[in-house]
Amino acid sequence: MSASPSAPLSSPGSRPIVIDCDPGVDDAIAILLALASPELDVRGITTVAGNVGVERTSRNALQIAELAGRPDIPVFAGCHRPLVVAPIGGQFHGESGLGPLMLPEPSRQIQPPHAVSFFIEILEDALARTRPITLCTLGPMTNIAVLLRVRPDLIPGIERILSMGGAYVEAGNRTMTSEFNILADPHAASIVFSSGIAITSLALDATHQAMATPERAAAVQQGLGGPVGAAVKTLLAHWDRNDPRRYGSRGGPMHDPLVIAALLRPELFETRKARVFVEHSSALCLGQTVADWYGKSGETPNVDIVTRVDADGFFALLGERLARYGLREAS
Amino acid sequence: MTARSVILDADPGVDDMGAILLALASPELDVEAVCAVAGNVPVEATVRNALKTVALAGQPGIPVLRGSARPLVAEQVLGKHAAVGVFPDDIVPPTEIDPQSGSAALFIAERAIVAARDGRRLSICASGPLTDIALALTMDARVARGIERIAIMGGAFTALGNRRPFAEFNMLADPHAAASVFASGVAVTLFPLDVTQQALLQDHHLATLRASCGAAGKALAAMFEFSDRGNLARYGRPGGPIHDIMPVAFLIAPDLFTLRPAVLGIETGGSTAGHTFADFDAPAGDVPVAEIAVAVDEERLFALLLGRLSAYGEREKAQSETRS
Repeated sequence: MSASPSAPLSSPGSRPIVIDCDPGVDDAIAILLALASPELDVRGITTVAGNVGVERTSRNALQIAELAGRPDIPVFAGCHRPLVVAPIGGQFHGESGLGPLMLPEPSRQIQPPHAVSFFIEILEDALARTRPITLCTLGPMTNIAVLLRVRPDLIPGIERILSMGGAYVEAGNRTMTSEFNILADPHAASIVFSSGIAITSLALDATHQAMATPERAAAVQQGLGGPVGAAVKTLLAHWDRNDPRRYGSRGGPMHDPLVIAALLRPELFETRKARVFVEHSSALCLGQTVADWYGKSGETPNVDIVTRVDADGFFALLGERLARYGLREAS
Repeated sequence: MTARSVILDADPGVDDMGAILLALASPELDVEAVCAVAGNVPVEATVRNALKTVALAGQPGIPVLRGSARPLVAEQVLGKHAAVGVFPDDIVPPTEIDPQSGSAALFIAERAIVAARDGRRLSICASGPLTDIALALTMDARVARGIERIAIMGGAFTALGNRRPFAEFNMLADPHAAASVFASGVAVTLFPLDVTQQALLQDHHLATLRASCGAAGKALAAMFEFSDRGNLARYGRPGGPIHDIMPVAFLIAPDLFTLRPAVLGIETGGSTAGHTFADFDAPAGDVPVAEIAVAVDEERLFALLLGRLSAYGEREKAQSETRS
């Protein structure tokens, strides 16, 4: 590994991805995991309003990329509000979106183009090279939905969407039925899930199996060093929901990093294929994701729903990858 | 007087064609572009028809942008006269011009952001489903700040509906987009069926269009023959409404209309999807507040329309005199 702190950890020829997110405590860990993984070529980070407003999520994305030693990763600001419903905002991310974590002022400012225009550019290029792009969505799906309405002809440029969002058998986290990312823009989620694009869905059914228990958090932290290590320690400490009745243990669910892990180590995940529908007009069930497990809808299954996660395997991967930042600094 | 910058967002559409021709013949308006969205007919046809209309108006340099091919989330519903499709070539001649590259929603967002930055204000005249305007408003907070007003043909209150018993077509075609626009905080002036049915285009108007408004007037008159006319039971007298022309007329001459402020809402689902409702007596401070046109001076409206469109006839006369 290179001794230069700004040397890319990912190499060309690896899988091209864009991370669409609303950092966000767990988004931040997901970005750090992706940028520590040479299998992934992070072509850009796009931001959206979600856990906090889009000015904040954009600034946070810039700061996290710099924390990872990757000020070269382009960050594009996306939609400032959901398509139809009013913004709701997250509950577990503090005012800044990163809990108590304080990071240095970013050296860069957000520049045009808009996230949607960036998607158009990169997908036109992907189509021309017949090298489709994988999209990771860690927040509300507003940017992707706008893209799909503005340029539906670019769908073939998308290899797959890996999405953190929804709740199938598991109950919701923001309302009785609904998970935050889907509830925050149910119309956008409906557009994406009905688009026919291949999707891997990491819903609460999956992420609640990946609890950062105090033991697992301690094991991850053991290998950490440098500014990234300090930041991850702060984020993990903030993430403890301290609600064993709900989650079966202390700690918080590692929602967004699972998306990156599913790209890196698919063998850690069991999936089941189904068509997914999103409720966008019910008062009681707004934002509920409904899986057609038994073919009742007559629609082609298009979503690989993650049903089981090898949590220990995931935390081993997370610890090993995040430790690379400290090792890089030490060398 | 400096002209008002306006983007026409339309789904031509016969009355949209009239709206575009009126705007392009009016010095009060600086038409930045025509955006064509799926609505009355599929988007390929609305784009074609917008291009044919700007060519017919002798202004092929006006950019035409392709809009959304379908509503945000609702099932697509086309207009009653969807079978018209692309305007027949023998009525509205074909044109070689192409749409500008890029898409309508991004164009609207970009122009509004530029307007906000320059302290200039942009008006939008919406005579189709509001899909692209909703997408633009979602993208960036500065878009709403750059838009002075959206004049919308849409909705129905005591007039009930036209495409469905309780819904006017433009609202039915994308009720979620309408909800999104109404909640955006941008100033909205709405021209519902209640007011569009107060001004009927009659045979003598068509005769004037044919006689003194050039090739554009002849084509528009021929197209109006296809549309919703002669429903005596509904309109109470001969003639047919010119729906989409009204918001353009308002941007040129606002005093043609009586407006009332109201809290405005729309039903997005179920059998009344697209139904608009307004509270004209809402307490101050309730949002979203829109201005709703409740009355129109019919005589002056047609005088404005036919007077402006006569420019197309005069231009042809001048051209043939130069040639001879």
